[in-house]
Amino acid sequence: MKYMLMLFEPDTDWDAVPDEERTAALDEHGRFIAYLQGRGIEFSGDALRPSTTATTLRPAGPGEDMLVTDGPYVELKENLAGYYVVEAADLDDAIEIARHCPTGTGTEIRPLWETDL
Amino acid sequence: MGDRPLSEAADAVADAVADAHRRGWARVLATVVRVTRDLDAAEDAVQEAFALAVERWPVRGVPEDTTAWLTTVARNRALDAMRRERTMARKLPLLIVPGEGEPDAVADAMDDERLRLVFTCCHPALALPARVALTLRLVCGVPTPDVARLFLVPPPTMAARLTRAKKKVQAAGIPYRVPSAHELPDRLPAALAVVSLLLTEGHTASRGESLRRPELVRTATELAEVLAEVMPDEAEVLGLLATVRLAAARGTARLDSEVDLVPLSAQDRSRWDRALIDDGCALAARAMRRSSPGRAGPYALHAAIAAVHSEAPSYEATDWAQVVALYDLLLTVAPSPVTALARAAAWSHVAGPDAALDSVAALAADPRLDGYYGVPAVRADLLRQLGRYAEAAASYAEAAASTGNDVERSYLLAQAAELAP
Repeated sequence: MKYMLMLFEPDTDWDAVPDEERTAALDEHGRFIAYLQGRGIEFSGDALRPSTTATTLRPAGPGEDMLVTDGPYVELKENLAGYYVVEAADLDDAIEIARHCPTGTGTEIRPLWETDL
Repeated sequence: MGDRPLSEAADAVADAVADAHRRGWARVLATVVRVTRDLDAAEDAVQEAFALAVERWPVRGVPEDTTAWLTTVARNRALDAMRRERTMARKLPLLIVPGEGEPDAVADAMDDERLRLVFTCCHPALALPARVALTLRLVCGVPTPDVARLFLVPPPTMAARLTRAKKKVQAAGIPYRVPSAHELPDRLPAALAVVSLLLTEGHTASRGESLRRPELVRTATELAEVLAEVMPDEAEVLGLLATVRLAAARGTARLDSEVDLVPLSAQDRSRWDRALIDDGCALAARAMRRSSPGRAGPYALHAAIAAVHSEAPSYEATDWAQVVALYDLLLTVAPSPVTALARAAAWSHVAGPDAALDSVAALAADPRLDGYYGVPAVRADLLRQLGRYAEAAASYAEAAASTGNDVERSYLLAQAAELAP
C-alpha cells in the first residue's frame, strides 16, 4: 500500500535561515532517506516552499469559473511543509517508517487511493 | 433424556446457543475474518451461522463441538458470498492479513484468534470510543443496539460509528494481527485502556439510575482474562487482572440491598470474597515483581493499592503510609488530578485531615477538576473529621449536585442531610 507522510511544521523560509540550521535539517532528512533505502522501501517526496507561496483554487459556484486566491486552503500556524510517499505493508509498517522521519509539529499518515491514471 | 418435556429440551438448546455465542463468537468471527478479509462480510456470515443454529439445533440436536460447527457454516456462507461478489469486481480495500509464513514471534506464543481481533479493534489509529465500541461488537459479539445502549446513544448513531471504524480499519490498512514483541509496549496500553474503561464504567456508571452495569464488568473480566492467558509475563496485564479480581471480591459489600452505596470505610469486610482477594493480591504481587524496579506501570500500581486495602483487617488498620507511597509512584508514571485527589484522601490518614484539606484546596484550583464531584466529596469527608459539620454538609450537597449517578447522588445527599444543622 502507498501511504503519504505529510510533514507539518511552522512555516519556514528555508532561503532565509542560517546555513548551519538548513544543513542540520537536510541532514535529518538525509538520515531518513538512508533508512528508507536501507530497508528497500520505494518512496518519493519533496519539500514544499512556505505557505506564503501558495495559490488556491476554489469553486466559485455553479457555472462560474474557479476562484483563484492567494494563500493556502486554510490558514494555520503550522503548514504542510513537505511529504514522502512510501510503499508500506500496512498501517503499522507506515507508522514504523514515519517514526524514523524528521517531525516538526506532526506527521499525518494517509493511505493513497490505488488509482491507475 | 428422550422423554424430557419439550420446553425443557428447547431451553437446553437455547442455553447451548447462548453459551456458544458467549464462548465462540470471537473465535468463529476471527477465523472467518481471515478468509474474507472483510469485517462486515465476516460479521454477516457469523450472524447467519448463529441464525441457522437456532433453526437446526432444536431439530437435529446440538453438535458436540458447537464452535467448530458454527465456524464451518460461517466460513461456507462467507465463501459463497465472496463468489457472488467477485463477479461485481469491486475494488474495495481488504483487511491486511499477514501471511501464515511470516515470522511473528509473539503471535506464535499467543495463537488465540480472539487476540488478533482485540488488537485490531484497539489499534491506536482509532479513536478511544470507537475502540471500545468495536471491541464490544466484534470481540464480545454484543449486538449493535446494545452497544448503543451502553454508550447511551441512539442505535443509528452507533451503527454509523461502528461502520466508520470498520471502514478505517480496512481503508487505512490496520493489519489483522497480534503486534510483534517490540510493538507491544505501544499497542498494549490501548487494549488495557479499553478493559479499564469498561471496568470503571461498569463499577460506577457515570450516568443513570443504577450504580453498576454488570454486563460491562463481565466483558472487561473476560478480556482481562484473555490478555493474561496469552501474556502471562506482562506486568501491566497482571495488574489489570488483579484489579478486576479485587474489585469483584469486594463488589457485594459495596451495595446494601442493591440500592445504597457503602463506602470502603463502612464496608463489612467479612462479606468480601476471601478466595478472590487472595487470588487478586497474589496477582498484584506478581505484577509488582515483574515490573522493573522503581518503574512499575499504572495498572500494576493500581492493583498494589487495591491489594493494600484488601489485606487490611479494617479501614483504620490500613497501611496508609504504603498507600500514599504507591500513589506517589503512580503520580510520577501517570500524573492525573484525580489520582492526586485520591492521594490527598489517603494522606489525611497519615498527616491528619487539616493537612489533607490544604492539598484538596490546592487541587480545587485545577481547571481539569472543574465540576468533578470527587473534589467536594473528599473535602466534605475531611471537614466532617474536623467537626466542621455545616461546611461538610454544604460540600456533600455540592458533590451531589455534580454527579450524574443516581445512587451516588442519594448517598451524598444522605450524608448532607445527616450533618445539616
